Amino acid sequence: MDGERFLARVAAYRADGWRLSVINTTAVLPSDELPQGAFDISWSFALGTRLEHLRERVVPGEEVPSVSPSFPSAFLYENEMRELFGVDVTGIAVDLRGQLYRTATRVPFSPGAIRRRLEATGRLGDGARHAAKPQPRPTTEAGA
Amino acid sequence: MKRTIVPLGPQHPVLPEPLVLDLVLEDERVVDAVPTIGYIHRGLEAMVEKVEYTEMGFVAERICGICSFMHGMGFCASIEDIMGVEVPERARWLRLVWAELSRIQSHLLWLGLGSDAFGFENLFMHCWRMREEILDIFEATTGGRIIFSVNRIGGVKRDIADSELAGIAERLRALGERFAEIARVFRADPSIHHRLAGVGVLPAGEALAAGAVGPMARASGLATDTRLLGTHGYDRLDFEPVVEAGGDCLARVLVRLREVEQSIDLIRQLVDRMPKGDGQPIETRVRGLPDGETFMRLEQPRGEVVYYLKANGTKYLERFRARTPTFANIPAMISLVRGHDLADVPNIILTIDPCISCTER
Repeated sequence: MDGERFLARVAAYRADGWRLSVINTTAVLPSDELPQGAFDISWSFALGTRLEHLRERVVPGEEVPSVSPSFPSAFLYENEMRELFGVDVTGIAVDLRGQLYRTATRVPFSPGAIRRRLEATGRLGDGARHAAKPQPRPTTEAGA
Repeated sequence: MKRTIVPLGPQHPVLPEPLVLDLVLEDERVVDAVPTIGYIHRGLEAMVEKVEYTEMGFVAERICGICSFMHGMGFCASIEDIMGVEVPERARWLRLVWAELSRIQSHLLWLGLGSDAFGFENLFMHCWRMREEILDIFEATTGGRIIFSVNRIGGVKRDIADSELAGIAERLRALGERFAEIARVFRADPSIHHRLAGVGVLPAGEALAAGAVGPMARASGLATDTRLLGTHGYDRLDFEPVVEAGGDCLARVLVRLREVEQSIDLIRQLVDRMPKGDGQPIETRVRGLPDGETFMRLEQPRGEVVYYLKANGTKYLERFRARTPTFANIPAMISLVRGHDLADVPNIILTIDPCISCTER
């Protein structure tokens, strides 16, 4: 991902008075196209009744810059991304160094960990779960 | 000045659930706080790998014993959005009745806990006695007091007869009169004001920067309320967000007091405006498998909850994520305790109404 361009877009949301609503990560399982899998990350911003999203696909090991310079409250989401998914977030304002959650499994939502669990339950390959193509960007305000 | 670290939690009289704040003190003053959670992380979101989407709503309900109805509603509404399911009219109204009842019981629970924390045990008992009446209504209409399992994808499982709805409205009217008595105590009692007024002030700008939601944000003057989206049927009701300007612990109490009164009024509106006639359809039969994704927002008692669901055309969802209001309010809580005396920290923590079960999922 283009970190500078991304952070500039995030800063624009902050300048326009938007609130960081949620950062969400979804693991994409390893496939022929993505041998290590990937992460689909969306940053959602709210203003009034509006909700907008930025979305990036990153591969394991790729650095994702923290948005805490614009939204200090992002540190919880970013620590969560790192601990549960193994996303390499850099520059987190409050770096909890792996102490936010105390999960028995290290990075339980990493693509590899999910793949191993699905293999163990015989559910790997069940349907389109491992599709490598990105989903279209969500644009709807659900339930409207 | 020498700094001391005092761990607050995981067990503490004001914490119904485990949370640790490592408080960095200079003398008695807090200069920083570092949160640690994870004591009750259950991995509910990961259960989408094992639980079919038709059953996952029951897991979502178990995220929290206080917001259980709205977690179930949010999950079902998300699937309905992905699959384009039209929920029957009556089911939409009934969901709102239960949702607003949830808000009342949650706020009464919190007002009781708050009273106990700032040393007003008698008020605690009054609040919880009233809450029992709401739980009685839940039990009569759903069969459950904590977990209801009344939401279905496509509607609801049980109807409430028109006569019963009228009875609920009447019970709430009477409860509202008794609530006014204790609300007067909250608003006027000097000992409550002494503990809460001017303590833990969160200015509007800081609330926005910290991503605060729900009563926490509204007590700082931000008129944010996801019900204003008009989704789920809220567009048919007349209401304005309850906003207070003080930004302090007292303002957060006042917002919740007024929201109890508001929810009673909303249920009265629902009962008055709901199309009459028992035996109307309450569930749309859903066929097929979900494929797509959605972001869904609801206004829970503690504020905005965001559900993210990603489905892939199989029985199992690819991702279920619930960003709960307490998760969003923790950064604001941390910024609030900075600069305050250690003795004020429990009240400040309590006034965000933290729900750690929701936070950890």
